[in-house]
Amino acid sequence: MQGAEQDQPSIARRAMSGAVLLAIGVVMLVVAWDYPVGQLTQMGPGFIPRVIGLMICALAAGIIFIDVISPNEARDARMHWRGLIFVSAAILIFAGLVDYAGLVPSMFLAVAISMFADDQVRPLHVLVYASLATLGGWLLFLVVLELPIPAFWR
Amino acid sequence: MIDQFLLGLSVVMQPNVLVYAFIGVFIGQLIGVLPGIGAVTAISLLLPVTFYLDATTSMIMLGGIYYGSQYGGSIASILLNLPGTPSSVVTCLEGYPLSRDNRAGLALFVAAFSSFVGGMIGVAILVLAAIPMTVIALRFGAPEYAMLVVLGLLAASLIGTGSQIRSFAMVVLGIALGLVGADQTTGYYRFVAMPELADGISLVSLAMGLFGISEIIRHAAVRSPPGSPLPIGIRDVLPTRAQARSLAMPILRGSAVGSFFGTLPGTGAAIASFMSYAMERRFSRTPEKFGKGHLPGLAAPEAANNAAAQTGFIPTLTLGIPGDVVMALIIGALILNGIVPGPRLMTEQPELFWGVIASFFVGNIILLLINIPLIRLWVLLLRIPYQKLYPVIIVMICVGVYSHRTSVTDVVLTLAFGVLGYLMKNYRFEPAPVLLGFVLGPLLEDNFRRAMLIYRGDFTVFVTRPISAILVACSMALIAFAIWSGIRACRRAVRSSH
Repeated sequence: MQGAEQDQPSIARRAMSGAVLLAIGVVMLVVAWDYPVGQLTQMGPGFIPRVIGLMICALAAGIIFIDVISPNEARDARMHWRGLIFVSAAILIFAGLVDYAGLVPSMFLAVAISMFADDQVRPLHVLVYASLATLGGWLLFLVVLELPIPAFWR
Repeated sequence: MIDQFLLGLSVVMQPNVLVYAFIGVFIGQLIGVLPGIGAVTAISLLLPVTFYLDATTSMIMLGGIYYGSQYGGSIASILLNLPGTPSSVVTCLEGYPLSRDNRAGLALFVAAFSSFVGGMIGVAILVLAAIPMTVIALRFGAPEYAMLVVLGLLAASLIGTGSQIRSFAMVVLGIALGLVGADQTTGYYRFVAMPELADGISLVSLAMGLFGISEIIRHAAVRSPPGSPLPIGIRDVLPTRAQARSLAMPILRGSAVGSFFGTLPGTGAAIASFMSYAMERRFSRTPEKFGKGHLPGLAAPEAANNAAAQTGFIPTLTLGIPGDVVMALIIGALILNGIVPGPRLMTEQPELFWGVIASFFVGNIILLLINIPLIRLWVLLLRIPYQKLYPVIIVMICVGVYSHRTSVTDVVLTLAFGVLGYLMKNYRFEPAPVLLGFVLGPLLEDNFRRAMLIYRGDFTVFVTRPISAILVACSMALIAFAIWSGIRACRRAVRSSH
């Protein structure tokens, strides 16, 4: 992504964002192809999905065309892998645990894991901060707002 | 009109309502100050809370967050050169040079005062326009609604920054996401990949994912440059008489621009502030002063974004058509409370309608009063590093989404939309049009299908009915403008490459 290639990303790279959109449009058309379309005066549930799917494909083709002919504008940002991985892990663990383990353990783990998205974090720091944040969350959600979620697994 | 406004004031002046108005504008100013958390995130976080309030108080609180964030956004822009909200990006251009020049107090005062005047003019226009707009809105049939939505979606993608075709593609993608679930007229299941999607994608998941989670992924490991906010020279807060006189016209012009773009569906405070800054610069007799702390360049966009934040409620309250993303969320909150906004709202729920409008009047006064005294608090707040904030925001989003429908699937979907929003932005696609398409898409489909059914598939109905014809003409003008500016940009690019 960087270095010598920076000035002139390859055609495949330039066309990628449009191609992903094109794929979305095609998948949409394939899924919606069996939906009843009806007529213009009496549209079925499949009419608008088909129109929208075709529009997405057309726009994606246009975007690919523009990105390929004008390389100067096609410059994509770098990926933040660390943030992506730890934020995703934190949310998935919350989603996986909250029904079984209750709100307090899942909040604690979500805070703790998400803190590792920052590359300069220290473990002890995480322990203290996650405990404090969990206490605050328990007070806010269960004591003040009285949300109907169990605090611990039953 | 005055009677109705007084009725609204009597609603707001009840202590329990006034408390929520205060909470709303306070939270709004707070999240406006904090970069990385916008009104969209805050309102989606509070959507579940509004179930416990009645419709009027939730509207007053959520509305307060929106226009309060417009006040707060300018503070971080002026002191740190970090825009707290999208609409305060241009505030940095003139505000930060002023605070480097040790005139931050003056800049903050001018920003707050311009915001106040802009907001009040916006409220006045809202009060004046409400009744006539409702009269017009009652004559809206399916073709008019369909064309108004088209105009709004076009405006959202064609006006503003960024690539127009990319924004438009994102509007269409948003419409596609809005198709998921049972079809409104036939009940046929579309794109229901799992049973949890039968009711459609949750607006809360989509909004929090696209705007909340995606920003956290991007900023979690990025450290803001060290260095504390500049010391504020509070002594010279008030402008001199000559400065004040030079600000009158920019503030009025900014308010006018803001009121226009606020009313137009599809555009909101952010676009209004950009347009107003560009206009101020073009019509200035001293354009060379811009970018170096020129007060009119600070005052006009601040007036514009606050005016737009108020007039944005005109289409929202009278037609039920959201002007921008935040309005879309506010309409979502109303619908969750069992109230469908539209032309009948004013006659059927006068306390709600006028109470909300009067709350803007009161809220702007509260904001002006708390703005200057609280600046020291906001400066302290800006010292909190983002690394301390984001884990808490993640948990709030998780719990908020989960408690909304007690659904783990919604939490996972929020993450999916967060990753989507993150990737989109990396590949230069804006997330805001997606949300607007998502909210307006079902309205468009429903009204278009109904129009075709009533008028037997006759497309001329869109140009033979007068209101619809005007909307079609506006859409055409927008498209023509977009093509013209596209060609101009291409020519300029070709010329500069030679």
